[in-house]
Amino acid sequence: MVKADKNIMRGFLVLTYIIIISMLIFVIGSSFSYLNTGADRSSMLHTEVKKATVYLPKLTWTTDGNEGRKLDAQTLAKIESDYLDAWYVKQVVYKTNQTTGIDDFYTESARKNIVAFITQNKAENISIQATTLSHQPNIEFFSEDGQLIVLKDENVVEYKQLYKDEKFVMETTETATYKVILLLEDGFWRVRHLVKERVKSVETATEKQAVPNLNMKGINYYPQATPWDMFGDQFDIEIIKNDFDIIKDAGLNTIRIFVQYEDFGKANVNEEKLEKLQQVLDAAATKKLQVVLTLFDFYGNYEILDWTLTQRHAETIVSRFKNHTAIVAWDIKNEPNLDFESRGKQNVLAWLESMISLIKSIDSTHLVTIGWSNTESAHLLQDKVDFVSFHYYNAAADFMRHYANLKAKITDKPIVLGEFGQSSYGGFWKPFSGSEQKQATYFKEMQAMLKAENISFLSWTLYDFEEIPSSVVGNRPWRTNPQKKFGFIDKDGKRKLAFEFMVE
Amino acid sequence: MMNLHYIFYFLLVASSADGFSMNVTETIQLETSKREFTAGEIIVLTFSGTQDASIQLYCANSYGTTLVSPKLEKNQLQYTIPTQLCSKIGVVNWKLLHKNNSLSGTFNIVAQKTPVAMETYVGPPSIAAGENDYTMLVVIPTDALDNPIQENTEVALKRQFLANEQQETILTKNLIAYQNIYSPSESGRMLLATECLGLNSKEYTVNVLPAISTDFEIFAKRPHEYADGNQITTFTTSILKDKNDNIISDGTFVAFFITNINGNLLKTSGMTIDGVATAKMIHPDHQETWSVKAIVAGISESNKISLRYKKVIEDFTITFSEKNRNIEVGPLKSFMNQLIPDGLQVKLIVSQSGKIIETAIKESRDGFVNFELNPNILSNGNYDLEITTAGITKTIQAKKLW
Repeated sequence: MVKADKNIMRGFLVLTYIIIISMLIFVIGSSFSYLNTGADRSSMLHTEVKKATVYLPKLTWTTDGNEGRKLDAQTLAKIESDYLDAWYVKQVVYKTNQTTGIDDFYTESARKNIVAFITQNKAENISIQATTLSHQPNIEFFSEDGQLIVLKDENVVEYKQLYKDEKFVMETTETATYKVILLLEDGFWRVRHLVKERVKSVETATEKQAVPNLNMKGINYYPQATPWDMFGDQFDIEIIKNDFDIIKDAGLNTIRIFVQYEDFGKANVNEEKLEKLQQVLDAAATKKLQVVLTLFDFYGNYEILDWTLTQRHAETIVSRFKNHTAIVAWDIKNEPNLDFESRGKQNVLAWLESMISLIKSIDSTHLVTIGWSNTESAHLLQDKVDFVSFHYYNAAADFMRHYANLKAKITDKPIVLGEFGQSSYGGFWKPFSGSEQKQATYFKEMQAMLKAENISFLSWTLYDFEEIPSSVVGNRPWRTNPQKKFGFIDKDGKRKLAFEFMVE
Repeated sequence: MMNLHYIFYFLLVASSADGFSMNVTETIQLETSKREFTAGEIIVLTFSGTQDASIQLYCANSYGTTLVSPKLEKNQLQYTIPTQLCSKIGVVNWKLLHKNNSLSGTFNIVAQKTPVAMETYVGPPSIAAGENDYTMLVVIPTDALDNPIQENTEVALKRQFLANEQQETILTKNLIAYQNIYSPSESGRMLLATECLGLNSKEYTVNVLPAISTDFEIFAKRPHEYADGNQITTFTTSILKDKNDNIISDGTFVAFFITNINGNLLKTSGMTIDGVATAKMIHPDHQETWSVKAIVAGISESNKISLRYKKVIEDFTITFSEKNRNIEVGPLKSFMNQLIPDGLQVKLIVSQSGKIIETAIKESRDGFVNFELNPNILSNGNYDLEITTAGITKTIQAKKLW
């Protein structure tokens, strides 16, 4: 017995020893490796070139008019970059009324002209926010010594907003033709002369498109495991195909999905994401589901100098999928009216309008809409969109009143209910507020009204979600928890009572 | 209650009618009829039909955009366009910022008639003679406000080259005027100047450099034709010229390649001065025939010349002393029986039954070379000796050392 005790004692001591030593080694090891992190050689030497893409108007070169020396591709690329930078710097200068940066892109004599404007605008507190949306430069002449270039920039589409005393005064879109002389100085192609030869202001005429009978019976779709991250690392086309089967079998014909602006790579759209989107659209086409593709999800800048970047983003996606049979409509932006307060209604509307005309210029066949978050804003830009869409999360009883109000403001465009739904959450954070039964009743009532009025609809949403990213409704539990329970199918895959009323 | 409603509607209709009529009476019109101005002119746009001095005028030119406030004079609104807009050529577009009446238009500003400055760019600054290469002259004549003057303005381009002076006229187009200037067939310095409506530029120089050389000849000069390993042979080229007989630029590198009897290559080089390159090479120390050719790498080559070097030493004596361990070679005599100048190479190879044991190379001094055979290396015994100098080899079989 004594011997056994001794052995236990021994064993215990040895074990304790091993544990203490290994903990010690772990602590020393991790502090050592922590101290070894830090400046690596490449960051010490500042070898990397930090150049952000800030200005990407649509630019098409013609070089057939060149009377001088032959222009090589490398020089042309350098000229393009410096010429666009010159425009960008000019826009920044007029926005801020400060001369930062113009020295690099305008020669000494040319920059005087800009400084004269700034002096006046500053004195009168005028500021101009502008961007150019497209350029068609043509090289007219390149000198033999490679130091001077004359180019004619045709159809420069420039959008401007003028502010006086911080108040919006006017906006205008103009198309102009410029002649430009650029000189190569200190390694920069600098503007020496700039002459506007022609200009006309553009009244964006929207061509009327006959909108077919929409008859959308649909749903807003995210996979259950990856809400708001449909095209991420966990992308699984098989799961999505399955879900499409469920949606189709429930009697629906439309889905609304979302393309996140940053996730898709902003101006330089990520090819991998496009391929995933392609798979989803192909799957929808096979299941005979039509897709409302919502662009610019989570985008919230709208700043005029950011326009060119968003336009390249939309251009890439729209031109890639404009012939896809699954697409029924482009939803430019989800609930942009929520940004009115923080970003300025003027800016948001101008951005939307310009984006619509860009998308229409690329894809004239598919419909365009904006997913307004309520009935109060849904009439905005109604003459630009092909159909009006709005979201509704209030009580079913009030729906007809809201709808009638909206309908009174809409002259001749179809109206689609782009999102509606109710959470079945009735737990700790919002006791007794919802239940599966209440949700089912809500959908039943809504469906009856939608059928009576023959309104196209897209409900929110197929699944209950386990996790809601903080970018959607924040982190507060009384907001995230109800958000998790909007589905027709619960987190265990069981159909909730409302499933019956996905469609009348 | 009902009446109240009617009153309300009536008011509404009345007020909107009021707005409507105001629109009709207040037809704002542009009184200024001029549409084209010269840069620097004072431009005033006058509008009649309103006296509302809060109406601003938007205007934009090539460089920028601004807002202008009016002055009310004689019941008209007068907008004085800011100087920075009046002074630059191009189209100016304007718009009256009135809520019901968006009057807009454009006017054009053209450059002043007389240029006051001519920015001239000439490049490249040197070109090759031969009517093939060219330089380009670009002129931007600008007026007093730094505007490129109007299209199709004549610019006289004057040039002087050797005895030739000429003048031609070019026209401005795309804000500039330019001309390609081809090189003449001779080399030299070309002076350029331009003139535009009485304004003269300064002088610009273009160097017309000779083109690349054509094939040439080479010559060799030597004090004597003996292979004494001491004198120097000098190679020269004929005057190197381009195809138009211009002497090529000084400093052109000419490489001379010498091939000897065994096919080995020797190389020497020189750079041209006044078209002639000179290079030197020391004479061989044994009978030899050189074949020499010069090239300007990648451009031109010379003829091939052949040089024979005669033997200077027919024979030499070998004397043994100090137990045959001291070998004296000499006297080494040159072509006039004079002692050969110091530095002739003598090579000794010591071998025993076909196996080389020691090799020694020494240079002559006062006509003699001495070899000491070290007893620590070469123990007593019989050795074969082989002595070579000036291309002559003598062998002594089984020489006994003790």
